[in-house]
Amino acid sequence: MSEEHKKYLKKIKIHKIVVLIAQIGILLLAFGIWELSAYLEWSDPFITSSPSRVAISLKDLYESGDLWKHAGATLYETIISFLLSTLIGVLIAIALWWSKTLSDILEPYLIVLNSLPKVALGPLIIIWVGAGRGAIITMALLICVIITIISAHTGFNSVDKEKIELLKAMGASKFQILWKLILPSNVPNIISILKINVGLSWVGTIMGEYLVSKEGIGYLLVYGSQVFKLDLVMASTILLCVLATLMYLSVALLEKLINKSFK
Amino acid sequence: MPLLVLKNLSHIYHSPSGETEALKDITLSVNEHEFVSIVGPSGCGKSTLLSILAGLLEPSSGEVIIGDQKLAEAKDLIALMPQRDQLFEWRNILKNVILSPEIKRNKTPEVIEYAKKLLEKYGLKDFMYKKPSELSGGMRQRAALIRTLVGAPKLLLLDEPFSALDFQTRLAVCDDVANIIAEEKKTAILVTHDISEAISMSTKVVVLTERPARIKTIYNIELDRTIPPLKRREQKSFNVYFRNVWKDLEVSNE
Repeated sequence: MSEEHKKYLKKIKIHKIVVLIAQIGILLLAFGIWELSAYLEWSDPFITSSPSRVAISLKDLYESGDLWKHAGATLYETIISFLLSTLIGVLIAIALWWSKTLSDILEPYLIVLNSLPKVALGPLIIIWVGAGRGAIITMALLICVIITIISAHTGFNSVDKEKIELLKAMGASKFQILWKLILPSNVPNIISILKINVGLSWVGTIMGEYLVSKEGIGYLLVYGSQVFKLDLVMASTILLCVLATLMYLSVALLEKLINKSFK
Repeated sequence: MPLLVLKNLSHIYHSPSGETEALKDITLSVNEHEFVSIVGPSGCGKSTLLSILAGLLEPSSGEVIIGDQKLAEAKDLIALMPQRDQLFEWRNILKNVILSPEIKRNKTPEVIEYAKKLLEKYGLKDFMYKKPSELSGGMRQRAALIRTLVGAPKLLLLDEPFSALDFQTRLAVCDDVANIIAEEKKTAILVTHDISEAISMSTKVVVLTERPARIKTIYNIELDRTIPPLKRREQKSFNVYFRNVWKDLEVSNE
């Protein structure tokens, strides 16, 4: 190894360390200032809460067993709507790819549904599906599924025409073209859809819980703010950050595993 | 008996803004082991002709006969090599080259053995289980050619298969492909816009006119076929052929 290369490697290493220290530093600094401002009463801890009060709040939630009840409910709803919306969206996209007539017919409807803020349908959903888990999952599903259909369909249609002709010249059936070419070549696209859907299904679930207000982190947020327990609101927000990040990371891990066997 | 006969082939493209005559009255026969190049001004309908032969397009009128069968029944006798190699990135080379038998549900151990033998014979043995991205442009092209050979077709259709390569690689791959096709005793039809390529590789060069494409001239190329195409370019008559084909294309451009 040459001196120059050693220097280069060292430079990369230093850069990484600097970034990591800064990242942790920002977190500590933010929490530190937050705690300090509450302690020195620069701000009213009743309104802004503080890290120590959030910690107590989380501990209370944990000890009363409410933490798992609410986090579990939200996680369950998010994962179900995430999986369902991806599955349903991809299946509908396959149908649209299969029949150009169908996709031409449905195009204006998809555009309208895509532009419509799905949250607006909340009250309707609650009346139709009933104020419960069903409504929350339906809400999250609606938010994710349209964009899944549109992105998956675009991906299916952008497969190289020459590859399709190659298979056709070999005498491939439409199903074979789908199975041997369209789907495998769209694996990276579908993974990026998964990544988008992780975020959107959280949005949908929390929105749903706001409206249904029975259990879950969304319920805790609404309840906490209504009774002015800002500690609870902050604790729920932090919990939400952690759970959403964990779910995103598991999709990223899945991506890595698939890429390994794919590339 | 010729392997391939085109009888009064015509094709018309339809689009909302009207119809375009792409091919008009193409009659041609190709004998076994011939290497026929089709050249013509760009956009004249060369690729249309190839698409019809590959069974991707129905001709508006006329007939294609292969051996003594109609085209639709003789599809297994034909294999297409597209413009870019179009290897599937998610399959290794071996799985790529046995794509055609897989589609035809004919993936027998013998076929796989044959595919392996071809890969070995043409220097891709060590790359059999590698992904296409690990191969050079020339090797990828060779893999694409082997993919067309695995189904044991009689007629190969080459659709400007070198157009995506840089000049140096292009000349080398040209020799490579010509050599493999001769070695495997296949009949080939090459569509190209490169006159030198057409003359150096072929036994016959068919010059098409502007759209709607008709056959303008057919040249029987009598270059020494014992030497590779690149060397054939140094032969005296090569220049004569080149000038003639060039003139044909120039006139049809007016």
